[in-house]
Amino acid sequence: MKLCLKVATLVATGIAAGLWLLSAPEPAISAKALAMATGSDTQAGDTGPGDAERGASVFHIGGCASCHMPPDYEQPDTDSIPPLSGGMRFSTDFGTFVAPNITPDKATGIGSWSDADFATALLKGVSPQGQHYYPAFPYSSYARMSLQDVADLKAFIDTQVAVNRPNESHQLDFPFSVRRALGLWKQLYLRPGPVIDLDTEDPELLRGQYLVEGPGHCGECHSPRNILGGTDYSQWLGGAANPDGEGSIPDISPGAGDFGDWDKADIAEYLSSGFTPDYDVVGGSMAEVVENTSKLAASDRHAIAAYLKAIPTVIAKEDD
Amino acid sequence: MIKRKGIVATLVIVSALGSGAVFAEEVEKIIEARQSFMQLYSFNLGLVGEMAKGKTEYDADIAANAAQNLLALAKMNTSPMWPQGSSKADAGLEEVTSALPEIWTTYPKVSEKHNDLTAALETFATVAGKDLASLRGGMKAVGDGCKGCHQDFRAKKEDK
Repeated sequence: MKLCLKVATLVATGIAAGLWLLSAPEPAISAKALAMATGSDTQAGDTGPGDAERGASVFHIGGCASCHMPPDYEQPDTDSIPPLSGGMRFSTDFGTFVAPNITPDKATGIGSWSDADFATALLKGVSPQGQHYYPAFPYSSYARMSLQDVADLKAFIDTQVAVNRPNESHQLDFPFSVRRALGLWKQLYLRPGPVIDLDTEDPELLRGQYLVEGPGHCGECHSPRNILGGTDYSQWLGGAANPDGEGSIPDISPGAGDFGDWDKADIAEYLSSGFTPDYDVVGGSMAEVVENTSKLAASDRHAIAAYLKAIPTVIAKEDD
Repeated sequence: MIKRKGIVATLVIVSALGSGAVFAEEVEKIIEARQSFMQLYSFNLGLVGEMAKGKTEYDADIAANAAQNLLALAKMNTSPMWPQGSSKADAGLEEVTSALPEIWTTYPKVSEKHNDLTAALETFATVAGKDLASLRGGMKAVGDGCKGCHQDFRAKKEDK
């Protein structure tokens, strides 16, 4: 009996230690790796390896402003970039998340971050303090971004207005409040490689894949999740429950519902002007997305459309 | 005495119901009219939109005329199409219209948004007949104009 207890204790300790090790945040991306990837290895210029102008387009496809702008912010005109001071609240099944300040403010924003810190946050979901971020921050998708895009994005964000606004804590229920456990979640659900095997060399399709699966993070809303919030890759872009509670997010895989009848030109136009093929106009949370995609190069919108027509059709489960 | 009261009460109820029914029918007709009006926007947008997509060949005259039509539509006084009691929240109209009560409760906000659409269409009317690139460049502002009202004053479409 005593032996049993000892063995059980040992096993439990072993499991706990294993889980602890498994849940450790991945090592940060080094400045060296970043410099090599962005070709700025030899120059230690004070402007850094990023290009702010290119970063603007990364910023738009990433939709950063949609979550990080102040709550109830009213844009004076469609071309202005809102302050990225955070504060918007997102209530989910796990609790309420509050978007943080990502302005270049040194005290309360990300002004003191190095480019490597920024890359580690986006690609690994790990903070400069070595803590896991919650995947409400869509690093599960951003993990597929190129280091060059990440560096350009940082350069762009550095040019934005600094706002002093301390971050608020998320309000999460136990056990979701245990950050360390996210390491296990990442082991299960973080999949930085390509989602769909397109088996193609077509640069337009590959560009579309990069934009949709990576910075565009379309799958975060358009693909269903399991009970732990992990993306169900078997139903990629097959539609999902609306995280805001009402209705659902449509299936945008080929052949699905109304969207199946849209051709590439229809999709590209929708992402540009917001008009659907029957000349109704985009609505709901997608309106903000179109606001962002309208600022991309036309070739990028066409690439997205080409990719959406090349992926497998999702056949919805009967018992949803 | 009791009987008479009963008859009077019945008459009152019947006439109230009767006028209600007639009113509902009228409102539905009005709603149909304003939905047809929206179809005119959609038709003319289709003429320029399909050119923007490259599905039909660019034709400066057709584009300019469609843009003029859109502007003319925006300038029409359609207030009789929007009577009180014709929102989605009004009795019996939930399935008939997507118009939200905020049109009336936050008035004149809807009217200000409509002015933005008119301004966007003023500009569009000057560029649509120029060339294809100008037409394409003008579509986004027109979409924003439509969105201005639809985002706040039309119920979201239920996804099936």
